[in-house]
Amino acid sequence: MFQLFGVAISQVVAISILVGAGLPALFAFGIRALAAGAGGNAEVSGAVGKPAMKVLAWVLFALVLAVIAVGLAVIVSSGFGYKVSFEHFFPTFIEK
Amino acid sequence: MLLILVIGTAIAFDFTNGFHDTGNAMATSIATGALRPKVAVGLSAILNLIGAFLSVEVALTVTNAVVRLQTSSGAPNPELLVNNGHELLMIVFCGLIGGILWNLLTWLLGLPSSSSHALFGGLIGSTMAALGLGGVNWMGDGTKLDGVLGKVIMPAFASPVVAALVATIGTWLVFRITAGVAERYAETGFRWGQIGTASLVSLAHGTNDAQKTMGVITLALIAYGSWTDTTDVPLWVKFACAIAIAAGTYTGGWRIIRTLGKGLVEISSPQGMAAEASSAAVILTSSHLGFALSTTHVATGSILGSGLGKKGAEVRWGVAMRMVLAWFITLPAAGLVGAVCFWLGNGIGGFVGPLLVFALLLGLTGWMVAHSRKSAVHAGNVNEDWQPDAKPGASIAANDTADLKA
Repeated sequence: MFQLFGVAISQVVAISILVGAGLPALFAFGIRALAAGAGGNAEVSGAVGKPAMKVLAWVLFALVLAVIAVGLAVIVSSGFGYKVSFEHFFPTFIEK
Repeated sequence: MLLILVIGTAIAFDFTNGFHDTGNAMATSIATGALRPKVAVGLSAILNLIGAFLSVEVALTVTNAVVRLQTSSGAPNPELLVNNGHELLMIVFCGLIGGILWNLLTWLLGLPSSSSHALFGGLIGSTMAALGLGGVNWMGDGTKLDGVLGKVIMPAFASPVVAALVATIGTWLVFRITAGVAERYAETGFRWGQIGTASLVSLAHGTNDAQKTMGVITLALIAYGSWTDTTDVPLWVKFACAIAIAAGTYTGGWRIIRTLGKGLVEISSPQGMAAEASSAAVILTSSHLGFALSTTHVATGSILGSGLGKKGAEVRWGVAMRMVLAWFITLPAAGLVGAVCFWLGNGIGGFVGPLLVFALLLGLTGWMVAHSRKSAVHAGNVNEDWQPDAKPGASIAANDTADLKA
């Protein structure tokens, strides 16, 4: 029993750290880039804004949204008898 | 008659489940001002409602995790079915009362405690009173994670630690990465992330928790003989449970929101986002892997972690210890109430017994609600500064008694 639990919980830990800490980190990079793009008051250094960084910021935010969309797909699909498989890296729906 | 009491009590439990757990998703967004309190609970309620409907997965065997009332197919054990399932209905009824009363008491004290543990505790207690120790599924047959030990106790110890770890790492990373960004700029940006991740937690809560009550009501219907399908839940049950949990969420357990949002850690929006992202990730991965963790334990662990991950942030360990203590006694306390109710209701018997137990529930509920009015916490004062060692709401009662009556 304890062994079973150990296996299950270590999987949760591994995936949660990847997603649960990775996602805020990604978002933080987005904010960082957005601030660099805006420049001036947005930055502690008060440097001049670099517009290209703004594009990078929105790419990062889009990535965050995509991850959240996968999260939603996981919740919704399990309710309808499907599960999301990451077998081919890109999430696909398969029947349970 | 007893069936109607059981259904009413189950829906009432679902309501307390909703309002007890609003804080898990929304406390941090309310505390940082990312969402106005009323907007936050409204959003959370809608997402819980949607979540409850998304969870079409049959939850009929929900009680099997802790007690032996049903077979693995979801049908009630035949020996409990004599006299229109009277005994099974009594067990479920008393278990639900144990869950509701514990939820209300912890709410009064402003302590977030797990609603599913309260329900399981109540059921364990009433089952023990009815069938003895053998009626409880302590640890399954040992081949998979099952029973009170595998599905309730072990996850309860692990989940806050895991969530705290994830949130600590997340918070630390976020502050490292945004080190050169002006604080106000970052604060505004992270509010959006916070709203998104908190919404995800609300939705996950709706899918996980509403279906427990659906399962319990359907079990009662089957025991009584008014429903036979063990692969589906009646549509009206789905509606009733979804609406009850959403209404409960909208009511907002402000006392608990206050403890989680202000009591544990002074939270900023980057921390809030890291905490909610951690909660969402832990809850979703664990339920995806087939074992459900308590949303409350996870959320509390995450918020604590967001305090640990930020340099110089204060974590109020006294408040945290009070919560942990409440978690320890949730199972036995709800169980005791469940058992006492069963002895009382079954001892008196007939239809007077259940009615008396129901009256007891109403009476104690009324008392606790009345008591909470003395130091009400509501949308208007939920974010007041936290006074160390104050009872929930006590610091508030002193300085704005004027709008308590509102």
